[in-house]
Amino acid sequence: MFPGAADEREGTDAADTGRGGDTDTRGREPDRGGANFVVVGAPLDATTTFQPGTRFGPRRIRSFAEPFDDYDHRTDQCFSDLGVVDRGDVRAWDDIAEYLEYLTSALREAVWDDSVPLLLGGEHTVSLAGVRAVEPEVFVCLDAHLDLYDAYDGNPLSHAAVTRRILEDVDSVEEVVLLGARTGSEAEWERAAHDDVTVVPPEDVADWSPGDRLADREVYLSVDIDAADPGYAPGTGTMEPFGLEPCELRDVVRAVAPSAGGFDVVEVNDRDDGQAAGLAAKLVREFVFSHADG
Amino acid sequence: MAKQQTEVRDLQEGSYVMIDDAACKINAYSTAKPGKHGSAKARVEAEGVFDGKKRSLSQPVDAKIWVPIIERKNGQVVSVDGDDMQVMDLETYETITMRIPDDADVSPDENIEYLEMEDQRKIV
Repeated sequence: MFPGAADEREGTDAADTGRGGDTDTRGREPDRGGANFVVVGAPLDATTTFQPGTRFGPRRIRSFAEPFDDYDHRTDQCFSDLGVVDRGDVRAWDDIAEYLEYLTSALREAVWDDSVPLLLGGEHTVSLAGVRAVEPEVFVCLDAHLDLYDAYDGNPLSHAAVTRRILEDVDSVEEVVLLGARTGSEAEWERAAHDDVTVVPPEDVADWSPGDRLADREVYLSVDIDAADPGYAPGTGTMEPFGLEPCELRDVVRAVAPSAGGFDVVEVNDRDDGQAAGLAAKLVREFVFSHADG
Repeated sequence: MAKQQTEVRDLQEGSYVMIDDAACKINAYSTAKPGKHGSAKARVEAEGVFDGKKRSLSQPVDAKIWVPIIERKNGQVVSVDGDDMQVMDLETYETITMRIPDDADVSPDENIEYLEMEDQRKIV
């Protein structure tokens, strides 16, 4: 369970929990309708291309969130007062299309309840489910990579193709803003040159501000933890040097969160001492505090 | 209420299901693979037939669930009175009063099709 969130884990077997077999609440009757944020773990680890381990991401993020204080001095709020519910993980399997469909449905339920889904990856492919559920007009993404492959290794649902899928398969999405992107294939850069994609290189992220761009538009914010410099977040699958400072990620999250109807942090694995997971967990909390603060 | 029981695995898109005591039409049905020791789970996204509200449920595929029995009927509009209309059931000749939907344009002598479940009705 994410520290400070109410526990509402998915039942993992057929046992009747007294709520029609829906969720294992350990006997407590949750008030899901009142939740402002719904945490869902998506430990998909099917197309990672270099160092795998994103299947451990949600667990690591929850674990390394434990030392954080409940109180946030900047916004004068307690995390545990903000109506965060943790629905546990949607266990992943190898049919990615089928998994994404199921995950989308789980996240859409939160959207229907007027809650903001907080998705813990998992490889970046899971963002496609988050975006399908929220149906935003703008996809804002912190990422070292463009992820604009049409298909990678023949797989259009590869984590390296997720931004392309979001652009082309989700009808509501009008444009993508990629912050901190610093690498991609020639074909990806050509795609990034189209009008519906804006790339903000790492050196310009500190000065970036959404301005009026997101006003009155539905927004989805995704953080691929490899946007951070690998020196700060080595626990990720495809490290890319010359990345962002943690404070730069934080400032983007703070700026976009009030406009965002969905959030995810992805590509965290278990190949460090918790630096990537700790940063990811902190960004989840920054999102929640900033969104709640409006 | 007219309803029958089935297993979640037998539901499909386009069919009906009871969620939160409301009759709903299924828009999407997806399943999760079984865990090592658990059964597969199904997730259903549906919309209330009579209230239009979106609902969802997550259940093991072998769980029992209620399916409403909704009748599709033919009727003839007898008269229109403000927001209401009198409709004669063309099978039983019983006359009932129905609220005219906002997006419907009906006039006397017109034949309509409607869904009926107990005292709830909706023009299709």
